[in-house]
Amino acid sequence: MLTMFSFSLPLLAWCAVSYLPFLWHPDVELQISADREGVTTVYTPGDRVSEEFFPEFEAAVRTQNEEVSPFMSLDKPVEAGSESSVRRSNKKVLRHLAPLLVSNGWLTEEQTKDDAAIYVAWKEIATGARLPEQPALTEENLEIVRKNWALMSRYSDSYNADNFVSRPLLSLVPQGRPANPDYLPAPHRVLISGFKEFTKPAEAERPSMWQRVGHSMRIVFGGFLLAALVGVPIGVICGTYSFFSKLIEPFTDFFRYMPAPTFSTLLVVIFLANDAPKMALVFIGTIFQLILVVANTTRRLELPLLEAAQTLGANQAQLLTRVVIPGILPNLYNDLRILLGWAWTWLVIAELVGVKSGLTEFIETQGRWRNFDSVYPVIILIGLIGFFTDQILSFIRGFIFPWTSEGPAITSTPVAKVLLFVPRWFKSAVDERIPYQPESTSPNKA
Amino acid sequence: MIEIQTDPLLYRVQKPEVRERFEALKQRPVVLSVQNLYKTFESQTGTVTALKDVSFDVYRREFMCVIGPSGCGKSTLIRILAGLESSSDGKVLLDGNPVTGPGPDRGMVFQSYTLFPWLTVKQNVMFGPRMSGKRGTSAESEARQWIDLVGLSKFENSYPHQLSGGMKQRVAIARALANRPRILLMDEPFGALDAQTRCQMQSYLLQIWRNLDITILFITHDLDEAAFLADRILVLKANPGEVNEIIEVPVPRPRSAAQFITPEFIATKYRIDQLIHPDQGSPEDALPFPRMTPQGDDVE
Repeated sequence: MLTMFSFSLPLLAWCAVSYLPFLWHPDVELQISADREGVTTVYTPGDRVSEEFFPEFEAAVRTQNEEVSPFMSLDKPVEAGSESSVRRSNKKVLRHLAPLLVSNGWLTEEQTKDDAAIYVAWKEIATGARLPEQPALTEENLEIVRKNWALMSRYSDSYNADNFVSRPLLSLVPQGRPANPDYLPAPHRVLISGFKEFTKPAEAERPSMWQRVGHSMRIVFGGFLLAALVGVPIGVICGTYSFFSKLIEPFTDFFRYMPAPTFSTLLVVIFLANDAPKMALVFIGTIFQLILVVANTTRRLELPLLEAAQTLGANQAQLLTRVVIPGILPNLYNDLRILLGWAWTWLVIAELVGVKSGLTEFIETQGRWRNFDSVYPVIILIGLIGFFTDQILSFIRGFIFPWTSEGPAITSTPVAKVLLFVPRWFKSAVDERIPYQPESTSPNKA
Repeated sequence: MIEIQTDPLLYRVQKPEVRERFEALKQRPVVLSVQNLYKTFESQTGTVTALKDVSFDVYRREFMCVIGPSGCGKSTLIRILAGLESSSDGKVLLDGNPVTGPGPDRGMVFQSYTLFPWLTVKQNVMFGPRMSGKRGTSAESEARQWIDLVGLSKFENSYPHQLSGGMKQRVAIARALANRPRILLMDEPFGALDAQTRCQMQSYLLQIWRNLDITILFITHDLDEAAFLADRILVLKANPGEVNEIIEVPVPRPRSAAQFITPEFIATKYRIDQLIHPDQGSPEDALPFPRMTPQGDDVE
């Protein structure tokens, strides 16, 4: 129950911040933008500006309109020769309405540069034939549309590039709605982009997301398994014999403080630029920790067990193979689970070594383009892979080590009963073939 | 004031049949012989002598208990006998051969639970025979008989964590016996059990001992346990650990709980108590007379 909460609370918080406009929302997402005379920074609809800056932006446009409005009257002469530049900026004003028309469904994405269609929309809005609703225009902007149309209609009723308004039009005042910064996209946007990214098929230069996942997992598990293969025997030997402990552990202890990423260039020189240096980085990042942890686990094996085995006639080799190794296995398994999590933390750095690859390459590129709604699904996916690997491993533990008393007997759960039916039936069938033959003599009389 | 009525020397007044019993015992071959055993430790405060000139013999099929005040080195003694620690001086002979290290000829049952948790009861019992290369169905059926002997046939496929403390120690006994040792060394094996289970286990142990050709050296700090189980009780002194006296227990066998109130039993216990706590008078003297004073009121 609490586990459910532990997952749903952060999700709820994310939804609340994203969908409740009065929570946070420090930015304004522009729906209508405008150019400012003499200012090079241009905002286009969809951009986010801070709450503090937005009124300033509005004010600048209004002042600009005040300067322009006297020239709207046909009586006032316009400077000769400025007609073409006025036309150009007027065309921009014309198109400022386009994104709003797209989000209202009046235009398609492709029509944003179709001046004729936009011209019609201006007419419709000005005459009141049709009004945008999603989002609507402010009264102020409606007024501007009407004033502009009054001027525009004198030149031409439909769009005519040659006979376009040559007197300055009023700019639309910026309009926007409260929004969160682009590094916190709303859940639905993350879901949609995630779905898009994960269903995109592979292309020549661009592997599909699942190929990337496979690639990343290969690096993590490859590096980790190599580290375990080398490190576990060393660790067990260090934990069993103090001679090896003194010989190996001090250097290992020193080496693990050298950050693995610092070896990345060296690794590229040695292993060249493919997956090898990446796995090697995971390997280096994991193995020293692994040796020390395994050695420690081995040392924690209860001494009386070793003594008991000795009094039962076990020699040194048997102590190692029959007591030490089976005795530490469950703890070793747990250690490796924790160290696998450790190996995952090296993934991102490893994939930046040499040629960028896998999920990290995707995150890097999309992050640079500020497509955070595509970045989050991947980050979450890495988390999920790690989490579920660990959960599965911890579930399997109960099957591998039925003799550990932690928690309820996992073999008694319904799923386990189904899974274990065949092996159990097989075992009982084998047992029946070796009948119990009691001997009549007492075993001690020999 | 309670007078202790028992004659402290009663246990020495041996009836002829008791004297005969111990004479017969000493005619048997010596299984374990400890001769002038010393054990010293180097510590920060200097050299500590844990055992000093300890000598005794254990005869075949004898049940000997070792008792002594805490810190008398009884655990050190049994660990040396098991070969888990080395002595500083002196000899330990098993059937005349010097003991050099741990081996399957001396079975040991520890106070802590030392069953291998990853093995079932049956596999635990088979551990010793397996170490010496015995395998197959005959080894398995033999293991079943040992498990049967300690009454745990139903649990042969259970793991140790599924057993109670007493059951674990029974398996530990079966496991030690499966190696057919010359002597069974038991280091306070029932110390961690509750009183009732302990009583049961004592009876179990006597039953097993009576049915097998096995010699037992049993360490305990419990007077009742020693007097109930032993043929002879080796009483150690503390600081340094020396042999104080070897008591020959006059209580006849087979033993039962009914004998706890016989004069022989009480006398034996009293004698052990005297040896372990020599300076202590009547326990009543040590306590001040209880003043039954109501709150604040000074009552003369």
